Amino acid sequence: MAILTVAETETMNTKTSQQRNQKRALGRPRPDAPHTSAPSDSRLPTSDSRLPTRHSPLVQMRDISKRFGPVVANDRVSLDLWPGEIHAILGENGAGKTTLVNILSGMETPDSGTIRVEGAEVQIAAPANALRLGIGTVYQHFTLVPNLSILENVVLGAQRSLVLDLADARAQVATMLADFGLDLSPDTEIRHLALGQRQRIEIIKALYRGSRILLLDEPTSVLTPGEVASLLDLLRRLRDQGVAVVLITHKLGEALAVSDRVTILRGGRNAGELGPDALAEASRESVRHRIIEQMFGAPEAAGHPRPVRDGTGTPLLTLERISTASAPGSLALRGLSLALHRGEVFGIAGVDGNGQKELGEVIAGQRPVTTGRIVLEGKEITNRGVAAATRAGIAYVTDDRLQEGTVAALSVAENVALKAIGRKPFSNGFWLDRRAMEEAARRAIAAFDVKTPGPDTPIGRLSGGNIQKLLLARELALDPLVLVCNKPTHGLDLRTADVVAGILREQADAGKAVLLISSELDELLAISDRIGVMVDGELVAVLPRAEATLETLGDLMLGGQRRTHQVAG
Amino acid sequence: MTRQPRLAAHFAPLLTSLAAVVAAMLLGGIFLAIRGKDPVAAFAMLFSRGLGTSYGISESLIRMAPLLIVSAGLVIALRAGVWNIGIDGQLLIGALFAGVTGSSLAGQIPPPLMWLAAALAGIIGGLLWALVPGLLRVRWGLNEIITTLMMNYVAINVTSWLVKGPVKDPSVVPPQTRLIPVELRLPKIPGTGVHIGLLVGLLAVILVTILFRHTVAGFMLDVLGRNRQAAIHAGMPVNRLTLLALLASGALAGLAGANDILGVKGLFQGNWNPGYGFAAFALVYLARLDSLWIIPFAWFLSFLSIGGEMMARPLNIPTYFVDMLEGLMLLCFAVATWFERLRSPYGRAEVEIGPANAGEPPGPAVRETAVGSAAGNIGGRR
Repeated sequence: MAILTVAETETMNTKTSQQRNQKRALGRPRPDAPHTSAPSDSRLPTSDSRLPTRHSPLVQMRDISKRFGPVVANDRVSLDLWPGEIHAILGENGAGKTTLVNILSGMETPDSGTIRVEGAEVQIAAPANALRLGIGTVYQHFTLVPNLSILENVVLGAQRSLVLDLADARAQVATMLADFGLDLSPDTEIRHLALGQRQRIEIIKALYRGSRILLLDEPTSVLTPGEVASLLDLLRRLRDQGVAVVLITHKLGEALAVSDRVTILRGGRNAGELGPDALAEASRESVRHRIIEQMFGAPEAAGHPRPVRDGTGTPLLTLERISTASAPGSLALRGLSLALHRGEVFGIAGVDGNGQKELGEVIAGQRPVTTGRIVLEGKEITNRGVAAATRAGIAYVTDDRLQEGTVAALSVAENVALKAIGRKPFSNGFWLDRRAMEEAARRAIAAFDVKTPGPDTPIGRLSGGNIQKLLLARELALDPLVLVCNKPTHGLDLRTADVVAGILREQADAGKAVLLISSELDELLAISDRIGVMVDGELVAVLPRAEATLETLGDLMLGGQRRTHQVAG
Repeated sequence: MTRQPRLAAHFAPLLTSLAAVVAAMLLGGIFLAIRGKDPVAAFAMLFSRGLGTSYGISESLIRMAPLLIVSAGLVIALRAGVWNIGIDGQLLIGALFAGVTGSSLAGQIPPPLMWLAAALAGIIGGLLWALVPGLLRVRWGLNEIITTLMMNYVAINVTSWLVKGPVKDPSVVPPQTRLIPVELRLPKIPGTGVHIGLLVGLLAVILVTILFRHTVAGFMLDVLGRNRQAAIHAGMPVNRLTLLALLASGALAGLAGANDILGVKGLFQGNWNPGYGFAAFALVYLARLDSLWIIPFAWFLSFLSIGGEMMARPLNIPTYFVDMLEGLMLLCFAVATWFERLRSPYGRAEVEIGPANAGEPPGPAVRETAVGSAAGNIGGRR
């Protein structure tokens, strides 16, 4: 508490009274005024002379450094945020994007460097300070209370009085909902909302608290393509109203579609910045090229040209009318059938939550099926459990690296040995062979270029991309017949993602069968031989690579073609 | 990595525990002062009687034996993420089984065989008492915190009924089993007044250490305790491991009961309930689930309770004072780990050091946020 108070006093002392007034004007929406859209809105800085103009930055971060133990996350990074701009921060995994934004939102405190908001130096010791300065954050994992209403969630923590006064707030929130294109009552409980809607509520929550700076960390990773488009529209509108929007993303296309300014980080340092002029002048392709070069220091690697397999011959793995329940009474898979052949990458496309995860778990033996058969090389492995499926030759790379794939506190070596711990070479069934575990880990580290201090480092200290490489190494070391991968490149930087995709292709070419579940259509199109589309627990189409395009897949994923199928008979 | 930081990493977490112990003693001293006792004199007497007299020393070592055995079992359960709150009940049943078996075989067969038979009976008793919550947990997912806790009360009443009726020594008035004659009890370690139960306790701790450092089963239990979902994902037999952890800690609790019957008491009395379970929780957490560190902490808590008893009478301080000190230690330990987290150079990334099954069972899971700091090395990983 002491830290917090000191920081606040400091903030207040350095502010002029004019700035203080200004802050008050900005800090809280007036109940009688509309809160978005109209340019005349007093909250919005564009036309108001007291407010920071477009000629001076709203936030200036200078020489920010932050270390986590031996890891330097930010090394003298600087960043300017201007009102009325969308500012994308791009960079590889571990480039320091999230740390930088966490520092601005008060989640982390910098080791050195200065932050100025409207020219006044501030210490942001806690998220509450950031909120008071008008910095609102929309986190990747939402912070809404599911069984409270929209209104209650928005107001939560924003009201300082003892008596909860929802009457004023209700009108405001209703206006904001309408402005945001959400046809919802403020009394709707959050649990009834889709992810995209929840995200908008998060944004409303930040704006309700008077945020003029909106930080979004990977906001599109949880959204369907349609939701992404309308989120980007919304961000444009907020920008036009004078909000400074910070967008962290891995998706270059999205960044270029909306950004006025792009900052590129590499290895914790500033690697480049493109302002509105640079972004407007150059052609889309050359901008792309420049950014990729600044992110990686080298041009993007080439694709993998190759012959495509057509999925004929004797299947290696067959699923016959598989059904499984997600919760009592609701089916996650509905009579799904699938045949997987040696040498092919079978891609599974679909909007998240259409049974893809359950499909992977069923094959891995991690989730029981209620009906149907799973046959591997003529042997039935239905409902035999994970250990039996693994022995039979199934490897499964989970999409949940942290909660399921690894044990954070255990070492890299122990995690690499996790799935084969009861067998040679890691044990004789009773006694562990720690030296063999360490050797295996060293091999995996070398083969996959994993960045870690050593095999005895707790795996939780590694970055997501490096953990993913180790997971893949672990499954490949099982020398499986069938490799099931759920979102193996999710959240990875472009180069690492490319390496991982290349490995999957190699595995197929070496005679294994790969089932690749992904929400990245580009990736599926790049390495799959056939692509199946899952909707609502069913495989609605299986397309050979030659017939699959972004458009056809996208249409199938959103259920368009399926409906016509049904009508046709 | 050089030797130096590894060694430091191994010792650093203990500093937190020691700080907690010191803080608890200070708080206890304040409490004494409020009650009008001289804390300096009290602690001086506690140390001088507990450490400075041969009676204090050997009584502490005798008391250490059951604590070591019980804690060895508790470490297995807690590291597997299984909350066995039923140690005391399992111990009572084990003690009763051992008392009945021992006294009926005493004089009939050679003493070593009788000890083995009684110890085995104790193990079976503890095992049976842990089996009920174990099956309930594995079959129907019932929270073992509740079931093991409740089984304690069942054990207290079942043993007191048995010892009043079916297995009562008919020749005496108070409810108790037949006495095992002094000469047929566990022998002393040569040259000391301490019976060989202490060696059994040390052996149990060493075996548990080996279990976690060098065996597949120990590794799997560790994984289960740290991340249940990862254990499922890796194809580990999660239910069997859960049951194993509970049964192992129950069996060791039963053995601890047998130890006290065969080494100290010679019979099971109806009102006897030493409450080692709580002390074991305190010391296992102070030792940060690292089985080898249990040894010094078990000794320390034994010394405290013996010294406390020896100090209590002359100074007119209730013996409950020592129980209060143990409670304060746990409390201070919880606070100290919080400070430890603040100092951690690695920020917020979470690492669990103890039983922390995400979501279930909903227990007082001890979580720490200190990746790779000294705390990350808890549990004898080095």
